[in-house]
Amino acid sequence: MTAAAWVCLFLPLGSAGLITVLGTTITRRTAAWIATLACAGSFAAAVVSFVAMWGRARENRADLSTAWTWLEAGNFRVGLSILTDPLSVFMMLVVAGVGSLIVAYSIGYMDGDDEERRYFAYMSLFVFSMLMLVQGGNLLLLLVGWGLVGLSSYLLIGFWHDRPSAVAAAKKAFVMNAFGDATMALAFFVLIQKTGTLDYGLAFQKAHGLSSLTLNLIALGLLGGAVAKSAQLPLQTWLPDAMEGPTPVSALIHAATMVTAGVYLIVRTHALFELAPRIEDLAAGLGAATLLLAGLVALVQTDIKRVIAYSTMSQIGYMFLGAGLGAYANAMFHLMTHAFFKALLFMGAGIVIHALAGEQDIRKMGGLRRLMPNTWWAMLVGGLALSGIPPLSGFFSKDSILAGALDRGWYGDVLFAVGMAGAFLTGLYTFRMLFVVFGGEQSAYVQEHPPHAHGDRVAQWSMYLTVGALTVLAAAGGWLQFADLWTPVTDWLEPVARPLVEATGTQETIASAAAVALGVAGIAVAWWIYGARRATAPRPSRVLEHKFYFDELYNGLFYWPAVGLSRLLSWVVEGPLVGGSIAAVSELARWTGGRVRELQTGLVRAYALALAAGVAVLVLVFVAVR
Amino acid sequence: MLGPDVAGYLIIAAFLFATGALGVLIRRSPLIVLLSLEIMLNGANLALIAFSRHFGRGDGQIFALAVMAVAASEVVVGLGLIVAMARRRLDLDVDKLSTLRG
Amino acid sequence: MILASAGNVLVWAVWVVAAFACLGSGVAVVSFSNPFYSALALIGNLGSLAVLYLLLSAEFVAAAQVLVYAGAVMVMFLFVIAYLGGRADAPWAGGPTLQVAAAVATAVALLVEIVVVIASKAEDRLSSSAKITGSFGSPGEVGRLFLTDHLIAFEITSVVLLVAAVGGVILGSHARGEASVQGEADAGA
Repeated sequence: MTAAAWVCLFLPLGSAGLITVLGTTITRRTAAWIATLACAGSFAAAVVSFVAMWGRARENRADLSTAWTWLEAGNFRVGLSILTDPLSVFMMLVVAGVGSLIVAYSIGYMDGDDEERRYFAYMSLFVFSMLMLVQGGNLLLLLVGWGLVGLSSYLLIGFWHDRPSAVAAAKKAFVMNAFGDATMALAFFVLIQKTGTLDYGLAFQKAHGLSSLTLNLIALGLLGGAVAKSAQLPLQTWLPDAMEGPTPVSALIHAATMVTAGVYLIVRTHALFELAPRIEDLAAGLGAATLLLAGLVALVQTDIKRVIAYSTMSQIGYMFLGAGLGAYANAMFHLMTHAFFKALLFMGAGIVIHALAGEQDIRKMGGLRRLMPNTWWAMLVGGLALSGIPPLSGFFSKDSILAGALDRGWYGDVLFAVGMAGAFLTGLYTFRMLFVVFGGEQSAYVQEHPPHAHGDRVAQWSMYLTVGALTVLAAAGGWLQFADLWTPVTDWLEPVARPLVEATGTQETIASAAAVALGVAGIAVAWWIYGARRATAPRPSRVLEHKFYFDELYNGLFYWPAVGLSRLLSWVVEGPLVGGSIAAVSELARWTGGRVRELQTGLVRAYALALAAGVAVLVLVFVAVR
Repeated sequence: MLGPDVAGYLIIAAFLFATGALGVLIRRSPLIVLLSLEIMLNGANLALIAFSRHFGRGDGQIFALAVMAVAASEVVVGLGLIVAMARRRLDLDVDKLSTLRG
Repeated sequence: MILASAGNVLVWAVWVVAAFACLGSGVAVVSFSNPFYSALALIGNLGSLAVLYLLLSAEFVAAAQVLVYAGAVMVMFLFVIAYLGGRADAPWAGGPTLQVAAAVATAVALLVEIVVVIASKAEDRLSSSAKITGSFGSPGEVGRLFLTDHLIAFEITSVVLLVAAVGGVILGSHARGEASVQGEADAGA
């Protein structure tokens, strides 16, 4: 079981290294195959681990395997260890599985790009980093994975680095994530100081004895990191910009895996969060707020990828809501189904974008239903799953979170209401996009640029096969758990994360019914406005179009002061002080040299005089001293 | 010892030395400078001989003879330089020979 | 500490004459603008110094002074002055400058310092001279000292003379392509 886990972790790293070292000696397609096979191998190893773990008794399923001691400082010791337990195996399956499907899809999508090898090396690096994050046996290795996924995200967002917008987006993502990294590091410092360890079990045990202020600080720091990585309020502005990267990148990193790392963190360290209940409530609240905000903003987006990006933001809000309430298994379940249908939506959008020669504005699209029927069906399945329509996957996962909210008193009821509003919005914006892109008559643009297939036969098959696989998963993936009647997921995760909330049967039924009803209502409104064109949409409000002015706020709060400060320092400190002092030193040296040079008159008599005078002075000195 | 003490001779030696130094420092012709240099050396010689007589040991005279030999050698070289300068039609003026200025 | 006696008076008289001659010729060397006159003044200086050496019982050194210094070195000087002819004239040029003032100050300082040092540090040691034998200052004595106690000095001095001779020849030789001129400096004595 553990051997397979080690293989799963390091296979993608090996692939990244291999592609890098081989460089241009291999063809681009070979690099693509290396990456795909490595990720597939990783998934196979994850399956082996899973099967092996399944064979064990419930209590025996956690295994901490340490390669060697990595850091030692006094009493503090951190090992290079991986933890193989139900939660990490769950994540391994999701990451490696969806990852290998998306990397396979990239064979087709990135076909023809000059820098394919670099792309696949980065993708392999990312898969390794994400696996390191979920498999790390202590918080420090989690942080290593955390940082590496941030790096991979930066590298991949700015993949087309001759585009200034891509470079700017990459920097924005990295800087905002760095803020979260900092709060996490601070939390770790407090944890080390107070408990002396970063190992999961040990730290959680020792945390019971800490003061509530300390616990709140630690949990707040961890929450900061989670919020940054998962693009929740208030650190959500980087995710839409991250759509500058290639579409498979958006699918893998910014939908299925990296942005869900925050949820994983909360579930993994739920023991700490449970000791700081206010912070847990804050997490749930932030999730709910993000859910609503993102849903509203998605209504006015015109770029197909940005609609899906805001949708991601909104769905992760659901996961935060669930994790904050204590419905850990439900949150992880939703994470899994979301990975399926969100990746599916992105990959379908990618096919559309390629078919229309790079066009991403939905206002230019229309009537693609008849021209690209397979893609239409796939995206329809994805959209229905996203909106939570039974019997597709989203229905099972989303509703269980909302049902759990009803078990938590008045605060839970508020969250429930928000979640319901979100369900309505989800249906609305998703099908707005689908009806605008695929429905109606063909737009002028589509008529001028009829969709064409991209790449050679292998490329096309790679894209169709993977999209097909994800369609199946998005449809059937939810059948792993149904309310409290059939709960394999909750049971699987129970040793690691026992849920805090248990919804009763009535609550489940109410939640499900309401969510489905609202989702259908949203779809109906979208059909009324965008499908059948019976009414025109109201003009979008300025606030929505500017995404609630968060970008402007952060610009004013952070960017311009920083720029101003740096200009001031450059003017005051850099110029006169730093440059001036160095110039002064050199000027002093030159001046001194000039004066000394004046002594070199070349006149013999002057030198003789100097000699004689020196002798006179020396005699005086010797006589006086002696 | 008959006559003045060694102190008298030393005074003369000091005067000769100072005069020679003055000449070296003030005159511009290299020939005169060399001659002044000879005056200085002779002043030193006188002091040596005086002390030799005072302490009754012959070492001072040995030293004075050595000084004389060295002075002669130095004059050879100095005059060779002056002749070389003259041959190259240079001005016999130490102030004009200042190409080693900084 | 002036002892007055008959033989003493003679010695004193000679001493005074020789001293004045010495000092006067010294000043003369430094002040003449014609180098020929300066050289002649130097010869006079050397002569009076020889007299002073005799008064100090250094006969051999006095003889060497006259023979070597006045006889050979000064002759060399005069040869060169003759060769240079009118070019050797060294008029006093310009008025007192900072250089001149500083030089005068330095020379005076040196003089004063020497006198002061000897006067203050000598204490009693300069009051009475040692008794000497008849052989003091004789050639035999000088030769004995050269060949026993100061052999190294003797040898090194001879090497110095050799080097000077070679140097003189080189300095005086013709550079390639230069017109040959009459008169070369003699090798050292």
